[in-house]
Amino acid sequence: MTTPSAPPPCAHLAAHRLTSRPLRFLRRCLRVRPLGRPEIRRDAREVPRCSPCPASSQPPPRLYACLTCATVFCPSHAASHAASAPAPGHQIAVDVDRAELFCAACGDQVYDPDFDHAVVLAQSTALHPPSASASPPSASASPAAPRKRRRVDYRAWAPDPAEVALVRSADPTTSASAAEPAGLRGLNNLGNTCFMNSVLQALLHAPPLRNYFLGDRHNRFLCPRRTPMRHRTTDAEAKAACLACDLDEIYSATFSGERTPYSPAKFLYSWWQHATNLASYEQQDAHEFFISILDHIHENIKDDQPKSHEQGDGDCCIAHRVFSGILRSDVICTNCGFSSTTFEPCMDVSLDLDSGHNNCLGVANPKPHARNGMSSKVSTLMRCLERFTRAERLDAEQKYFCERCKERQVSLKQMSIRRLPLVSCFHIKRFEHSTVKKMSRKVDHSLQFPFSLDMTPYLSSSILRSRYGNRIFPSEACDSDAVSELPSEFEIFAVITHSGKLDAGHYVTYLRLNNQWYRCDDAWVTRVDEHTVRSSQAYMLFYVQKTLYYKACERAAAV
Amino acid sequence: MSSSNDAPASPRSQLVLSCFEELLDLAVADVASECHRIARLGLDRSVDAEEEELRLWAARVAGDHPGAEDGATRGAGGNKGAPDVFGQTHPAIAADVVDCMNCGRPVVAGRFAPHLEKCMGKGRKARAKTTRSSTAGRNRSSNGEEHSNHAFQES
Repeated sequence: MTTPSAPPPCAHLAAHRLTSRPLRFLRRCLRVRPLGRPEIRRDAREVPRCSPCPASSQPPPRLYACLTCATVFCPSHAASHAASAPAPGHQIAVDVDRAELFCAACGDQVYDPDFDHAVVLAQSTALHPPSASASPPSASASPAAPRKRRRVDYRAWAPDPAEVALVRSADPTTSASAAEPAGLRGLNNLGNTCFMNSVLQALLHAPPLRNYFLGDRHNRFLCPRRTPMRHRTTDAEAKAACLACDLDEIYSATFSGERTPYSPAKFLYSWWQHATNLASYEQQDAHEFFISILDHIHENIKDDQPKSHEQGDGDCCIAHRVFSGILRSDVICTNCGFSSTTFEPCMDVSLDLDSGHNNCLGVANPKPHARNGMSSKVSTLMRCLERFTRAERLDAEQKYFCERCKERQVSLKQMSIRRLPLVSCFHIKRFEHSTVKKMSRKVDHSLQFPFSLDMTPYLSSSILRSRYGNRIFPSEACDSDAVSELPSEFEIFAVITHSGKLDAGHYVTYLRLNNQWYRCDDAWVTRVDEHTVRSSQAYMLFYVQKTLYYKACERAAAV
Repeated sequence: MSSSNDAPASPRSQLVLSCFEELLDLAVADVASECHRIARLGLDRSVDAEEEELRLWAARVAGDHPGAEDGATRGAGGNKGAPDVFGQTHPAIAADVVDCMNCGRPVVAGRFAPHLEKCMGKGRKARAKTTRSSTAGRNRSSNGEEHSNHAFQES
């Protein structure tokens, strides 16, 4: 999904644009109602009516105003107006309630960039009037275009024979002895630690994180927090444990080429020193563990940076650099249209798993009827994301206090993603804890998820654009989030699944390496096919930006 | 409007009905206009491709064995006695030996976590034996071990 592009105009629209005066006069009649709905009214209190229609008939759902003579008519009288008008050029009209152009000769809605431009200007003026006391986002004050990434000229490069030999001998994936990809190694279960193993496997193969540690960006022998590995007696020495160092050790071990399962005992020990509330011999929640270690890595290495950064800026530590995105939350008053926006950093996106639409695709097979209906509950990741970014109505007790109206009003709340992280982690909320019923249960519905994911529809730019009618050329909207040039295509590389019951379950990670799926079940690593992964019960999904995802090259043609 | 078709049409209910119809027409026209714009401007994702993928996926999943949701037991992964991708086999409890970072003793990897819990004095059940009388401490920790093994059978 890209930015909207104007389709070629019909002959009548093209002729109208050439011969008639510009659409400037329309701008004077453009009025914007709350929530950005544009309408065409010459007078604020004008009530348009179709003159040819009898006075007693039902009002039509659409009314058009001819751009040339301003006559108002309904769709059924449109053709006759275009044909019988005294002078030529009466074919183009505008829907007075929706500000959409209509060609009476073609009998179809048409689109013009200049007109959309005028509508967008009117909407932005209405949204952020120049004299308003409300402060728009500070980034919008600058007229400059959003920060563009510097582009570097392309320079071709081909290796010489010496370099070819060097690369071929050093690369474990292309050397003859390696049958399986580097870094693939089982992790021993230390006693109900599959939650830890599953998350570690996903982290070990997150490209930016892997590159960071394998690129020696955090060297455990040079880390200032490292104290000699002796018997630690005092708490002060114990707290000097650095999770990043322990992670570095795991990377070294798993990418060493050794294939016997590795025991991440030291990591468990260090984590327990940090997360004292979670330190016990019992099954933990993998997602909670994931958030916990990212948080502790941040605590450990954030002071290594020369300047202190706001969390969410992404430059404070590698955990944020890889996983941190920014969510945008808009609350819009339905009474006056005033919107208040907040931004918050997030390390992952937690999605509700509703029962999903029943198999509305038309049951392709007769089996579901024989079963208890489990298989007909199909949710998809994209629908969960759509639900996540849907406008939610806040009314009754949840009415929001509008600063412009100075009272609680029915409002709309909508989430969107302002900035995508390098690695997107989606957490599917399968564990429901009900305080009312005093019970917890696991939601077993299957979830369909794509291997290639385009996040464009969930970005703030798309959400904002569709909120204001999907007009062409939104670049002059005063909200800097309305333009997005950031990459939004992702490729999946890890899936953590949970099977079994709430408190007695098992976590397994599926990894996609060199276009082959592997199942990492603690110490047991096996090859599986796509189908196994697609039909598994996803609990956490890891996607990396496509630009960072290296597709496997043919072995024979390497280098 | 809650009445059936054979109810007498009073002027008031007719008015209500025509109001509803007008609102419905407006809503339909709104949606039609938006969708028309989205389609013409090329903003819709390839919805057909997505539907097709979903249809295929649903058909595949429905065609599985009823235990398909429990992905852990399917295929090659379920049988832990079979060799892994490197041709190795492993026992159910990891036999690797690690040195405890807290007390220095060698511990079997598969039992490292319960050992560490008691060793570090963490967890609900295990408590440092020095804080109470030795008898009470022993009883509590042995209860804890039993309890944990009973409740969390799957590793």
